[in-house]
Order: sequence, then structure tokens, then C-alpha cells
Amino acid sequence: MSIPAALMTGPTVLEPVVGKTDEMIVNLGPQHPATHGVLQIVLGVDGERVTRAVPHIGFLHRNHEKIEESRSYAQVIPYLDRMDYVSGLQNELPYCLAVEDLAGLEVPERAKYIRTAMFEFNRIISHLVWVGTYMLDLGAITPFLYAFRDREMALDIIERTTGGRMLPNYFTFGGVRRDVHPKFWQDLLDFLDYFEKVVPEYETLTVDAPVFQARSVGVGLLSQELAVNHGISGPNLRASGVAHDLRKDQPYDAYPELDFSVITRDEGDVWARSKVRMDEIYQSIDLIRQCAELAPRSGPYLARGRVKIEAGEQRYRAAEISRGQLGVYIHSDGGTGPYRSKHRSPSFVNLQIIPDLFIGQKFSDVIAILGSIDIVLGEVDR
Amino acid sequence: MNLITEAAKALRDIGKGMAVVSRAAEKGKHTNLYPFEMPEIPPVSCQSLALIIEADGTDRCVSCLACEKVCPSQVITIERTRNPEGKGFVLERFDIDLVNCMYCAACVEACPVSAIVTIQDFELSTYDLQTLKADKAFLDEQGRRAKQWYSPKLGVEYRNEQGEIQVAPLEQQPGGEAELLKQADKESDN
Amino acid sequence: MALSSDKRSQLKRIPIPEDRHFKPQLVGYNPKTPNRLAEVLAHSLLYFVFVGLLLLIYGVLPWLFKLPGSPLASGGSFTTTGAVLYGILAAVLSFLVAAVAALILILVLRKYLGLVQNRYGPMHNGPAGAFQTIADAVKMVAKEDFVPGKADALVFTLAPLMVFVSAFLLLTIIPFAPGWVLANLNVGLLFIVAAGTIGAYGVLVGGWSINNKFGLLGGLRAAAQLVSYEIPLSISLLTVAVWVGSLNLMDIVEAQKLWWTAIPLLISAAVYLIASLAEIKMTPFDLPEAESELVAGFNTEYSGMRFGFFFVAEFAELFLLPAIAVVLFFGGYYQPLAGFWDFADVLRGLGAEGSTLNQFGGLLASAYGMLWFLLKTALLSYLVIWVRATLPRFRDDQLMELCWKVLIPLSLIGLAVAVILRLVFK
Ligand code: SF4
Ligand code: SF4
Repeated sequence: MSIPAALMTGPTVLEPVVGKTDEMIVNLGPQHPATHGVLQIVLGVDGERVTRAVPHIGFLHRNHEKIEESRSYAQVIPYLDRMDYVSGLQNELPYCLAVEDLAGLEVPERAKYIRTAMFEFNRIISHLVWVGTYMLDLGAITPFLYAFRDREMALDIIERTTGGRMLPNYFTFGGVRRDVHPKFWQDLLDFLDYFEKVVPEYETLTVDAPVFQARSVGVGLLSQELAVNHGISGPNLRASGVAHDLRKDQPYDAYPELDFSVITRDEGDVWARSKVRMDEIYQSIDLIRQCAELAPRSGPYLARGRVKIEAGEQRYRAAEISRGQLGVYIHSDGGTGPYRSKHRSPSFVNLQIIPDLFIGQKFSDVIAILGSIDIVLGEVDR
Repeated sequence: MNLITEAAKALRDIGKGMAVVSRAAEKGKHTNLYPFEMPEIPPVSCQSLALIIEADGTDRCVSCLACEKVCPSQVITIERTRNPEGKGFVLERFDIDLVNCMYCAACVEACPVSAIVTIQDFELSTYDLQTLKADKAFLDEQGRRAKQWYSPKLGVEYRNEQGEIQVAPLEQQPGGEAELLKQADKESDN
Repeated sequence: MALSSDKRSQLKRIPIPEDRHFKPQLVGYNPKTPNRLAEVLAHSLLYFVFVGLLLLIYGVLPWLFKLPGSPLASGGSFTTTGAVLYGILAAVLSFLVAAVAALILILVLRKYLGLVQNRYGPMHNGPAGAFQTIADAVKMVAKEDFVPGKADALVFTLAPLMVFVSAFLLLTIIPFAPGWVLANLNVGLLFIVAAGTIGAYGVLVGGWSINNKFGLLGGLRAAAQLVSYEIPLSISLLTVAVWVGSLNLMDIVEAQKLWWTAIPLLISAAVYLIASLAEIKMTPFDLPEAESELVAGFNTEYSGMRFGFFFVAEFAELFLLPAIAVVLFFGGYYQPLAGFWDFADVLRGLGAEGSTLNQFGGLLASAYGMLWFLLKTALLSYLVIWVRATLPRFRDDQLMELCWKVLIPLSLIGLAVAVILRLVFK
């Protein structure tokens, strides 16, 4: 098979031992079980050792930002769900925050709590998908089915309120689109009671399991410096010892009223990233409980108002979604829709460390590291 | 000695994992036996769109074009003519391209008279995409077949045995909790 | 994106068909109204076939061909026509035995995984999916015989056969009951090592011949893995030979009438079990076909019956390697503590010497032994499946580390223990 030379340009750090072994070019993706979508990585391997890694993206490019320019502000929201389809609800929030800021809409107290609870609930769902698919990458099938079993229950709760499972189109400017299901809070608490007992099982099968530890401890070390220089965010950054969490640093919605601390780990390896995500599941459970306690049970859920934005106004708002910092930049020309809308998507940025982490590693570790970064290709390509 | 304790710990942890796996069987089966058994879909869920016809056979739709304007995918095509006798419009054509529709329910929210609604019939799979370019007859038929439907203005509705359209009780409505609480508050005040 | 209005009106509009909805046709078994009796019967059908085949080969056929005892068992001389005919028939039937064992284990694996993963597993072919593996086998045979354009056709064809034959050869030396063995070799232990190695070649050349990079990586991993794990495996076989003082599997079983070899040779037994996991290429040692890394490893380009041979061989080994473990370490066809009281002896003592009842009793005693043998094997196979349901897989260097730094030293310790015990106790 011949691969165009242009596809192979990239840093070659390790030279193959000349005369003894040959470098073999392996095309990992775009149709490969472990790339979580359509990511292509051209790998040079010398035996099992990776000598070069050149990621290629864009197979799923759908022109989101350009489409959004020709839509009205409200029409953009359903498109946002499709960026990171694993945590669809979370994608809507930064955009809503930015438009609310620009249009001067005040979100009612109740809507804030509903949004925050939904936001954290979506984080649990997203991390469940990560647990499952990651263990599948490492060769264990069972946790995958457990994770999706629990995710189904969680999605049912979301569906009962929003009408959608993965693409809910629920948050809107000034609150949420419709009131929650009568049993919403009760459902949430019941699910959490059940789920809290199940998470230790996941831990037994993943971060506490000896074979998993053998595969993950010390693998794919991401130093604090490298992480900060590349603009990594989310659990990947926090696993490298940087206590950066937008929920604390730039709190939005009901986060200022909630009591929590930023989870960090110093190791920076695959295991630390996994452990941080596991701890975040516990944290989300706690945060949703707090929301359920503090949220007013009646009152307006939506501050209706005209979205009228002056020409030249612009705004950048970001939120800490399950993969990191999702930012939205909106520039208005006074029309009904954004003149320019730009998304800073966490997976896209996190993907950039691939060559740095891959080179010199084993072929199996490539899969382990790629899975631990937790990318969603829909958001990388947009 | 250190090696032995480590090995023992590793074996114990593997054993714990195996115990978790075998104990999981107690949680029962979580598979839905679709298509032998239909999944329970909440009434607000947007799986497909339908047009509602009142019990007396008249269209609810007043051809106001609100849904066509608001649709982000621009898949709704409506043609109307002025009603020669009396006010309003006559609906000439109402098409939704259900292939490109993304089921965001924005049209349902925009409709002033709850004529276009979301239904829970998710079985749209077909061998021929042309069959999903729905015209008015298609959408009416969907509405006639639906057991219940949802629109934000009127909430969950269903057709009773006599073919009349009724609104579902408050407990089944989204937002019903707040309403019920308000009623309970009033009662306790009295 | 949106079509213009007149373009739209030109589109042929198809009215909503009455049968647009997929209406399930209930054919055969309905999972909504389960019939427990039918399920149990259907699921045990293959077991009956399996046991029946074994009884036929070892019990009925020798009697039909009027062979005294089992001539093959005592040295393997094909002097009479009957013995030759028996040899041919038994070989063909043994092929079936291996295939049926694989079919049973595939179904058990899928049903067990379903159970622990909160789903049903195979469900629609036969009561509770009992005939699913048979349907799969039929499907595989019926598929197109396909050789990829750039593959080496000869090697591509030979590789699955090599793997399958290697598994199948092991079946011939397993004593299922006293005298119930196709080839009672004096060098049985060596034969195990020899036959097992052919399979490693099959996987290596299979991965190489398909001219696929993932296949090549898988094949190389398999070669490294299988060859390395052969060493602790062979050494733990050696400990048994040292302890018992024979290479003949029959003698080894006979020596375990009172105490299983696993009791003095615990270390070797453990090493054997772990190394045989690697030989079967089951999780956590399924690197050669690691589906998330190498797509399907050495059998990436295989399809149809060629893939079927790989698949059946893998699951036949899932039966055969535990079976060998039972022979070597867990008392073979003897019931536990047979040295104190053995029900088989009671059966053998029925009737007067040489009477029909006595002969029948002997047959029953053998069948009784075989049931114990199968039960122990099933338990060990279950253990393997359980491990597979739980663990992720190792990395290749960790695999090698485990072999060379842990298992081989351990197996050498086991060997030393065996030598010392032998000097002390015998
Ligand atoms: S659901 Fe959304 S995309 Fe579909 S027709 Fe209605 S507004 Fe358009
Ligand atoms: S918004 Fe409602 S009433 Fe208006 S055209 Fe659409 S379906 Fe008809």
C-alpha cells in the first residue's frame, strides 16, 4: 500500500535501527475500532515501537461555524448538540451564556439549578461512555456493557424531560425550553442512589484492577508544562496537576452556590486521567444532590425576551464540559443571527498532544493513550 | 517478601473483579426485546412529526408559516392561497423532508395552534428515502396513527375511543409538578 | 441545501405505505413466552451429542468391531481389518468431537457473557438461542471461499488447517476413561508439546500470508507469545513426568488415584493453567487478535470456513488444554479421593467374572470415569471464560515479562520441588 508522502510529514523522533529493521507505515483509521470515530493516524512502527505519528482530521467536517452564520440565534442551538454528541446538553450551555450576556437576559433561579443539574448529569453520562469504550480499547468487554446499561437509565431520565436522548435541544436563552418532568428531581435522586453503589464496581474493574494498572501506570506521561503549553483542558489537564476548572474559576449558572473542590492528580499518566474521571463521577453525584436540595420547586423556568444584539458586540463564554473547556465566541453585526461564531472545542485542542505522547511508545500503548485523552470526533471536526 | 505481598494483592484484586462480574448477573436483563416488545417512550420525546386533524375533520393548521420560518434545517415547504370565501388561507401543500429534518422540535414550539406536534413513532426506517419526503397526507396519517402527542402549548394530548382529542392529566405533563404544587399551595391557604 | 419549490414538486411522491412499519414475524421460538423445559432440553442436546460421540468411539465401536479391549490403547497395532476400520472411523468421529466441543463452548461463552453483562446473549435460533452456533457453522460453510488478491494462496489455505490439526491432534492422546484413548503413546507428554507447536506456525504464517500489516503484527505477536509460553508449559509438563516417572498419560492418571498431582505440584499446576491461557489466546493474553488494536490480528483477512477453522480451533483448545490439565494435575477420570472408595470399582464388580452383566458394568464404570473427567474439564473451561469476561489484555512486553520473569522461574522452582519430593517420597 502506498501512502502519499504528504500524509507522512511530521516529526520523526526515533530513527529505525538502520540495516536491521524497517519502519512500517500503519494506517490507524479512519476505519479502525479504537479511533472512536473517523480519526486517521499515520503511524510509523518499528516492530511494536512507534517512530512517528501524524494525525489527520476532517473526515467528519460539517461546517458548523459557517452554517451558524446563516441561522438565527435560536436556530443555532440544535446544531450545537451535534458537535459533541456524547454530551449534547453541555454543548448548548456556553452558547446560551454568551447570547444571554449580549442580550442582557437574566436567567431565573430555578432554571439555573435545572441547567446545572442537567449539566452535571450529562457529565456522568459522558464519563460512562468513556469508561465503557476505554475498557473496550484495553480488551475488556464487560465494563462496556455495564456502562451502557447505566447510561440507558440516565438517558431515560433526560428524555422524559427534554424529549431527546443524545440531542436534546433543551437549554435556551434565559433558561430552559420547557419545565422539567414532574418526577425529574425524584428520578435523579433515585438514579443516583442506585448509581452510587455501582461506581465502586467500575472502580474495581478499572482503576483498581491490577491488569489495568499494569497497562496504565506510567504510560503516556503528560507533563504539566506540555499540557499548559498545548492548551490542554479538562480531566487531562487536571490529571497533570493543574487545578484549572472553569466551574470554579469562571463560575456560571448555579456553580457559585455549590460546594465542591477541584479534583487534581499529579502523576499525569493514563491511570491518573482515568482516576480523575472516576472521581469526577463521584463529584457530579454530589453536585446533583446539592442542586436537588437547593433548587426551588416552582417558579419561572424561562425568562422570555427578545434576543436583540447591537452591531459590533462580541462575547466569549466558556464552560467546563466533560472533555474540557468548550468556548464560544460570538460576534454580532446587529442581525438576527451571529455574524461570526467560533467554537473552541476541547477535543480538538487535546488531540494535539498525540504526536508528543505517541512517539517511542508501544503500539498497544498508542491505543491506551488515545482512549485516555477521550476525544469525540464530532467535536474535533465540527 | 515484598514481591509475594504484591502478587497476593494483585490476585486478590483480580478475584474482586471476577466477583463483581459474576455478581452482576443478579441485576437481571436490561435488554429491550425490540421488536417483540416495544420500548416505553415518554410522551414528550420527539421521534417524528405529525399534523393533527380535529375530531370534526378540519385541519388545525392555519397556514401561518411560522414553522417554515423557524426550521433550522429549512426542510418545511408550505404553499397557501387566500381563502376565496371568508378569512384565512387554504393549505395547498405542506411538505417536510423527514430525511433532513433533525427532530429539534423548533417547528412544534413555534406553531401557534399546536397543529404540528411531536409523536413517539420512531420506526421511520425505509428502503427508499423518497418515502420520507413527507407530504400532507403522510403527516396527517402519522397524526391519525399516533396514540398520543405533545406540543408545548397544549401539552400531552391523546385521542379517546370516540375519536375526540383530550388533554392528558396534569401528572403526565412536563411542568405538571409546578402546577400541582401551586394548586396544593392554594388549597393549604384556603 | 433546500430544493427549490418547483424541483420539489417534480419529485415522485410515494404515499405512506400501510406496511411501512417493520412488523416482526415470529418464527419458531418466542422469547416473550419462554418455555424453560424446551430451553433446557435444547441446550443439553449438544452435550448429549458430545457424550454420545465419545461413548460411540470408545465404548460401542470397539465392541462392534470385536476388538479385545482397545488394541490401539495398548500399543497401537493395526493387525486386523477391524482395527484398521475402527482407526479410520474413530479418526473421523474424533474430528466431530472436537467440532462439537467447540460449538458447545462457543455457545456457553456467549450465553455466559450475556448473563454477566445483563443481556440475553443468543436468543432467536432455537429455544433461548440453543442452535445459534449450529446456524453460525452452517453460515460459515455456506460463505464464499475467498482468497484476497495479494495473499499467498497456498499458505493462506494451509494456515487454518495447521492450527486446526494441531488442536485436533491433542484429542487423540487424551484418556477419557481407563483404556479409552485413541493413541496410548509412551511419549504422550512430548506429543503434547510437539502438536501444540504446529499451531504456533499456523498462526504465524497465517498472519504473514494475508499481506496485511495488522495481520503481520498479529502473526508476529502470536509467534512470540506462543513460542515463549511453550517453555513454562513444557517445564510444568516435565515436573509431572519427574513426579510420576512416566511420559505416558495413562500412567500419569493411574498414579493419581489417591492424590492429585496438583497437591504436591501446586506451583506447576498454576503455571500450566496460566500458560495454557496464553496458548489458547484468551483474554488477558489475546494480543494476537487484539480487536481494538490490530482489527482482528492474524485473521484479519480470513472469512468463511477458513476463519471458521481458526475459530473452531481456538475453542477446541479451550476444551483440550483444560482437559490436559485435568489429566496431568487433577486426577483425570478418577473421582476425587478414588483411592479410598471408588464408585467405578463397585460398577466393575457387578456380576460374575466374564458375564454380560460384568462386561456392561465395566462399560458403565468407564462412562462414569468419563463423566468425572468431563466435569472437571468443564469447570476449568468455565474458569477460563470467567477470566475472559473480567480482565483487559496485557501489553506485549508485559506479556513477555510475565513469561520470562515470572512463569519460567516459577516453573523451574516447581521442577526443583518435584525433584526433591520425588527423592524424598519415592
Ligand atoms: S423538527 Fe426541527 S428540523 Fe425538523 S421540521 Fe421541525 S424545525 Fe425543522
Ligand atoms: S406553524 Fe402551525 S399553523 Fe402555522 S403553518 Fe406551521 S403547522 Fe400550520
